[in-house]
Amino acid sequence: MAFTVLNSRMVQARVAPGTTLFSQRGAMLAYTGEVRFTPSITGGQGGVRGMIGRRVTGEATPLMTVEGDGTVMFGHGGHHVQVIDLWGETLHVEADRVLAFDGTLRQGTVFLGSQGGVMGVVRGQMTGQGLFTTTLEGNGSAAVLAHGGVIELPVVPGRPVHVDPQAYVAHRGEIRTRLSTALGWRDMVGRGSGEAFQLELSGTGTVYVQASEEKL
Amino acid sequence: MAQFRLQGSKVLAVDLAGDSVKAKNGSMVAYDGEMTFKKRTGGGDGLRGVVTRRLTGEHMAVMEVKGHGTCYFADRAHEVNLVRLTGETLYVEASNLLCTDGALRTGTTFTGLRGSARGNGLFTTTVEGTGQAAVLSEGTAVVLRVTPQMPLQVDPGAYIAHTGDLRQHFQSGVNFRTLIGEGSGEAFQIRFEGEGLVYVQPSERETVGGEV
Repeated sequence: MAFTVLNSRMVQARVAPGTTLFSQRGAMLAYTGEVRFTPSITGGQGGVRGMIGRRVTGEATPLMTVEGDGTVMFGHGGHHVQVIDLWGETLHVEADRVLAFDGTLRQGTVFLGSQGGVMGVVRGQMTGQGLFTTTLEGNGSAAVLAHGGVIELPVVPGRPVHVDPQAYVAHRGEIRTRLSTALGWRDMVGRGSGEAFQLELSGTGTVYVQASEEKL
Repeated sequence: MAQFRLQGSKVLAVDLAGDSVKAKNGSMVAYDGEMTFKKRTGGGDGLRGVVTRRLTGEHMAVMEVKGHGTCYFADRAHEVNLVRLTGETLYVEASNLLCTDGALRTGTTFTGLRGSARGNGLFTTTVEGTGQAAVLSEGTAVVLRVTPQMPLQVDPGAYIAHTGDLRQHFQSGVNFRTLIGEGSGEAFQIRFEGEGLVYVQPSERETVGGEV
């Protein structure tokens, strides 16, 4: 698909006439050929409604449209880049972790507070990313940023995976997320194990976890 | 016994079947199955250990992880090195210790003057017994063998751990040039003599000696 992995921190994308690529603004490192970069006000697809949606929800990392004929190299902040190929599935990822994606993917925003009521709200606070997350859907590739490399863990029915909210990067497939807690009185008095909250993912799909508890 | 394996170079996967491991507080990144996380007062030795760690500053925030399934640990994207112990003792800085088998005993030991140059105090953590341990390093660590014929000098900031029957002492190359600010930046080394293995990372942490 669109992205070639150059090394763990850089990807290269081929831009052909008639195709479009979206990337985080300022993430271009180098390019060859005739390539134009234009700020994308609507930030991907979804038109004006999508734009308003992103403004309101805070899931509004500025994007740019990449068009022309050539190759472009992307990277950001020395972070690891993970390329995720989608075949009709939906990828859930925080907006500021999206480095670049194929123009063929539909971008949207979903409200996570609806999953799990109050715990959904707490989840947003815990991950520090708010209550909304970005979705990418369709056939194409996305390049996602992570601190210190990524492991992919399969999620299968009957075997949920629990992830530290700070280490969670993205997930794909038919997955429900829920914040689970092991909060006891020990945590209240500052004697906790440091693992009071976990994101529980159940269903069928894949979750991407970074080897670090640092945010980007 | 808990099975330790590497998932990539920066994530430790531990398969548990009802047994337990001790891990750095907050280092869990994901798990499947059933796990419980319990804060431990420290690395063992009971009350005496707690008091020692308080006094020495070599206090580990440790949690006990117990359950059935696979638990994944990582810390600040540092590399993970597996060390298998069969009755010997591993000496490691508390901040570099990611995870140890529940069957291993941990304690604190006096290292002498070395600690003050490393900025980590005068004490270091010991891990003893039979089982696996996971040690963190910045970049891929190398394991260097020390023999009676071949002592080893290590930069205090690059040292992470050692095993075996080793004597260590601190040596300084501070001279007239250092004092007038013309030092080579290699004023202090740890010298290891005896028989054993030393783990060295390709990075130099901030140490007091590093400034000289």
